[in-house]
Amino acid sequence: MVVSKSLEDVAVIYPQGYLNNLVGESLEKECNACIGKGIKKIVLDFSKTKFINSIGISILLSIIEKLKKHNGILCFTSLNKMHEEIFEMLGITKYALVFRNEDEALKHFRVAVKE
Amino acid sequence: MPFKSIPEQNFVNRDAELSYLKRLIDVKDSAIVNNVLLEGTRGIGKTELLKQLYRSLFWQGKNVIPFYYSFQRATLKVAYFAKDYFTRFVRQYLAFLKKDPSIIDNMSIPLTKLIPLFSTLKLTWMIELIEDFQEHIKDGDLHEQLLGAISIPAAVAGKSGNPVLVMLDDFHLATQLYETHPGDVPGLISLFERSMTSTTSPHILTGSPEGALEMIFTDDSFRGKAERMILRAMPEDAAFSMFRSLCAAFGITVRDECREFMKFLGGNPLYIKNMAKALWKMQRKEASLKDLWECYSYEVSDGETAFYWSSIFRGFLTDLQQRRIAIELLMHSIESHCEVRNLEILSKALGIPVPSLKSVLDALQISGIIQTTGSIRPVRDNILQDFIRNLYLREVEERDPEKIRKLIESRYQLQNNATSCFEMTIPMTADAELVAAKAIEQIGKNISLKPLVITQLQLAIIEACINAMEHSGSYDKKVLLKFTVNPERIEIAIETPGKRFDPDTVKEPTIEEKLHSEHKRGWGLKLMREVMDDVKVETIGDRTRVVLIKNIKSEVIN
Repeated sequence: MVVSKSLEDVAVIYPQGYLNNLVGESLEKECNACIGKGIKKIVLDFSKTKFINSIGISILLSIIEKLKKHNGILCFTSLNKMHEEIFEMLGITKYALVFRNEDEALKHFRVAVKE
Repeated sequence: MPFKSIPEQNFVNRDAELSYLKRLIDVKDSAIVNNVLLEGTRGIGKTELLKQLYRSLFWQGKNVIPFYYSFQRATLKVAYFAKDYFTRFVRQYLAFLKKDPSIIDNMSIPLTKLIPLFSTLKLTWMIELIEDFQEHIKDGDLHEQLLGAISIPAAVAGKSGNPVLVMLDDFHLATQLYETHPGDVPGLISLFERSMTSTTSPHILTGSPEGALEMIFTDDSFRGKAERMILRAMPEDAAFSMFRSLCAAFGITVRDECREFMKFLGGNPLYIKNMAKALWKMQRKEASLKDLWECYSYEVSDGETAFYWSSIFRGFLTDLQQRRIAIELLMHSIESHCEVRNLEILSKALGIPVPSLKSVLDALQISGIIQTTGSIRPVRDNILQDFIRNLYLREVEERDPEKIRKLIESRYQLQNNATSCFEMTIPMTADAELVAAKAIEQIGKNISLKPLVITQLQLAIIEACINAMEHSGSYDKKVLLKFTVNPERIEIAIETPGKRFDPDTVKEPTIEEKLHSEHKRGWGLKLMREVMDDVKVETIGDRTRVVLIKNIKSEVIN
């Protein structure tokens, strides 16, 4: 339901299919595990996410809250048009960086590391 | 309860009758008959007309004293009736003098407590009339009690010098007045004759069914003492105007197309009023013709109109076996569309013995449900027909009420070829909402909706289904979805029985608040509203329906 990979101090997580309570719980677990390992830069790539329901949204809020507490950074990538519109409308994008794709997000972090 | 009437502005198309009845007093000294039999089918507005007349006279001044009395089955025993009639008159008279309607229904104050109030008005003759009546009660003289009560309007008119307009609703029930058990002293109704003869207390009498009052007035004691006034169905324009006005009072806008529905209601004010109320109960803000049909199927099965007819059935057909015969008989009459002249043939057709049929037919005739003047005429009232269909399906065929409602609705489904309807039921199990999402995807593809629009519809459906599953508390654990597609819009209705859902109680969530809250849920309604053009929440009986609407404009199509 959730696939992830770690690249140095960045974790990329791919929620798959329908981001509801089940996938959401796995996603939250995965994020918590990353934070536990000291990874505070998390990229959520939605290229394989078909639907995000309101439960999924509430779980994203939990992740945002947790990362904020740990001074972490959350990125959203590969959002489809509707998810992008919804995140914008709900105000979620104020608490996360949005990139077109995973590469752009990673590039952003590399630049940030170099600085 | 003469003040429990509809607002004056909603009472339309009865101006001529109202002003005619008001003028009854003016002709009191002439030789013209000044009692009126107000006749008309059930629900046509006889009671409402009396109440409007009452209200108008009550506030108009002190010239004409109005008195309204509604005969009830529970108070037909002479001892009860006399006291009830007398006390109500006294209260209404006092209320009229003081211009205080609250006195009318305040049954907690006994007659004796009203005496000091008349004393302050210096109406000693009124006190004497009350004391005389109480003497009759003490003596146990039923005849004097009844006479004392019936003649009180004429007595007050004589003493006060102001005429009393007596309005007796459901007067046909007065034929059933009795002393100790029903039928023991037939003809007590004739005692009203004396009161009606007085030119200072004209009477307006209503009764159902049509012709019931005429039968009373062919009796020797009443012959020639009253004229007939028949209250007809409202014309379509007036009916529509009344319907619109009632709906407006409930904050509902009515589309012009709904005018044709008035024909179906037969210009019956009771049905018009009940339909407006039903729309309001279903939380409609705007009513289309389709809404009316949908609302109607509920109204005639479980709404106030059904309750109205049910209470008449219960009142006149107390025996269960009789009731069943009545339902079968009426259903036969509706389906055969013709008058029945021969009871023997009817008996063979229904397999019911003639004596049983006769007894049921009598009850149906008295109740005003059918007319049997020489032959049994089929019920012409569309609404009553559907109510009978509903009873038949429920009590004889034992069908499920929800299915009956659908059956009635489907009888009147709009024959619009451009409209496609799809229905599905999903279980309340994990991810079942995705099945509904898949359905709308295909429907959207069929009409070439843009992929983004399809995804929006899917998201809204998912949210509506989740809400239904989580909050309805539905006992059948199913969600019914109905997709209606026409060239103008897509409507998706998501319906469940169970707990009511009031969207006004849902606080609009904000991200800032939710981020710091333990409870991060509650985005469903906001999401639906964001991606749809309109989201309506309706209540139909114990069912809640969320209706998602997407208008089909050029920008949503490929």
